[in-house]
Amino acid sequence: MNVYILDGTENMFYSAVFFAYSDADCILSSAKNIQLTLDARIITVEYEEDKCERVKKKIAQYDPKALSDIALILKRGCDTKEMTALQYIRLILKNRAPVRDQLSHPMVIEAMDERDKVTLEAHRFKGFLRFMEGDHGIMYAPFSPDNDILELILPHFLRRLTTQPFIIHDTLRHKAALWNGKECAIAQTDDRISVRFSPDEENFQHLWQEYYCAVNIAQRPHEKQMKGYMPVRYWKFMPEKNPGLR
Amino acid sequence: MIDANRLKILTESAKYDVSCSSSGSTRANRKGGIGNASIGGICHSFTPDGRCISLLKLLLSNRCIYNCLYCPNRAEADVPRASATPEEICELVLSFYKRNYIEGLFLSSAVDRSPDHTMELLIDTVIRLRKVYRFNGYIHLKGIPYADKALISRAARYVDRMSYNIELPSEHSLKLLAPQKSKESLLMPIRQLATEKFVFDQEKKGKHSTRFLPAGQTTQMIVGASPESDGQILRLSEAFYRKFSMKRVYYSSYVPVVHHALLPKKCTGLLREHRLYQADWLMRFYGFTADEIAGTSENLPEEYDPKCAWALKNMHLFPVEINSAPLEMLLRVPGIGNLGAYKILKARKFSSLGFEDLTKMRIVLKRAKHFITCNGKFFGSENISTVKTMLALEAHEEKYEQLSMFSTPETSVSALTGQL
Repeated sequence: MNVYILDGTENMFYSAVFFAYSDADCILSSAKNIQLTLDARIITVEYEEDKCERVKKKIAQYDPKALSDIALILKRGCDTKEMTALQYIRLILKNRAPVRDQLSHPMVIEAMDERDKVTLEAHRFKGFLRFMEGDHGIMYAPFSPDNDILELILPHFLRRLTTQPFIIHDTLRHKAALWNGKECAIAQTDDRISVRFSPDEENFQHLWQEYYCAVNIAQRPHEKQMKGYMPVRYWKFMPEKNPGLR
Repeated sequence: MIDANRLKILTESAKYDVSCSSSGSTRANRKGGIGNASIGGICHSFTPDGRCISLLKLLLSNRCIYNCLYCPNRAEADVPRASATPEEICELVLSFYKRNYIEGLFLSSAVDRSPDHTMELLIDTVIRLRKVYRFNGYIHLKGIPYADKALISRAARYVDRMSYNIELPSEHSLKLLAPQKSKESLLMPIRQLATEKFVFDQEKKGKHSTRFLPAGQTTQMIVGASPESDGQILRLSEAFYRKFSMKRVYYSSYVPVVHHALLPKKCTGLLREHRLYQADWLMRFYGFTADEIAGTSENLPEEYDPKCAWALKNMHLFPVEINSAPLEMLLRVPGIGNLGAYKILKARKFSSLGFEDLTKMRIVLKRAKHFITCNGKFFGSENISTVKTMLALEAHEEKYEQLSMFSTPETSVSALTGQL
């Protein structure tokens, strides 16, 4: 059995699909701690532009929208994402047509589920991301999402805060989006960035906590629903859930 | 800057307004401005009562000259009073917005001094936000009854959504419980805004330079403080949706706070509110009319949801074949929702669907199985009384959960209002 080792990038994935597509019993993975079976033959994939483009072109020929589905699936934070994407591609090429509406097909259900997990989390973080005002008026927002969604939420905040410099920092994947009001860049970062906050920051966090408490109707507790919509793992950077954060 | 204490008073006075949605507007950011609106709305946080926070919900002032019996801020009530200046509100909105705490502002006010004075202050706040601070986020503005017509039109050009609460489902009840508000004082501005929006949209087709209430109007009414039946209430809502293109009608079940001979002593219970919302959804998204759901003097059944009730009365139309039924009929099957119906429609083009396929597609069959066949096979019960019992049992579980969610004994003491 061939095991194709990837680095998590889209280009590398498509380069590997060129070979793996017809390799029925293979594994594609970018996981760091992959479990190997006895008969495993490791293949380290290298980026080959022509092969990568040929695969993409072929997929787009049958379903132009599939590439964006796959791009989303590859942003999943789970180890099986490459296999899900590969099987989805195989199905499209076999049908020579889009398959996303075959909603009772197990492979389509899986692929669409994985895709939707990414878009759902991106949608949620448009709301749950929290900025703090730094010393020089730059807004800083740390977060640690399950999926690699920094690039997905970035355009939303660029449209919104056009004149406001900001940093959105994915602390799990050590990368940050930087916007200075003119240009935007994505950079690798250390685990921690030390930021000095503006003197007003504490006051506004306090007002927000006050508002959060006041708007709640304490006599109608329904924590289960709150946690369903706003999972506890997202609370880490939200001032209203961490009265001691500031 | 506004202090924590005033913020608390003004928030607590506003929190019983049910609406907090930030959807329906596509307002874009402008050069040099801050913010935009997102068509589907965005929730920024959730409170321990399970409700979402999308907008900063505030009263400009809770000092009121009116004395509506059911309202916690009525003139005679002994509650702490506070107000904020337009400048203070703007500062707070901007500071919260750039930290991504909120999607925009929901601004309301008690009637302080006079309707026109209050409305002018509200408009001043909104225009200041849009022009001075160049804020393009979502704004929902509450209308003040009896305010001047010109003020209302002016406000509508700056905000995304406006709402007038009709408070009670009939003119008679309004006269009794909110004597200072008349049916006309509430309906007139709603009609005015609906007409002006229609004319504006016709003339401005395709041009996005200025807008007039892009997210439309909503309203809210208290259920159970007065004797109107569900059938009557639903007909009223239907008229709002049809005549005034209302985006939503909110219902809030009555909770007694003030003891008064004219007000009922008992809570209405949240089940009635829940059933009304279910019926409301049927009218808006499932192609039902109020007539089909309940007779004029009828109440909705407690035992099961309105769609089940309708289906049980119309058993001659069922079962329907999942693989061939038209969309309108799929939408009428109890237990199959909007999303489910569209999923079935797509999936069946490729292969015929069996029960196991529906399960894989996460379509809940507990109720639906009595009303559908898959490839001619039927897995429900033929006996209608058995079906009724099973559906009622299931709804009972749901009802039990509903009640335990909301109706804790203290609700009546603290909820302070019938607007819940």
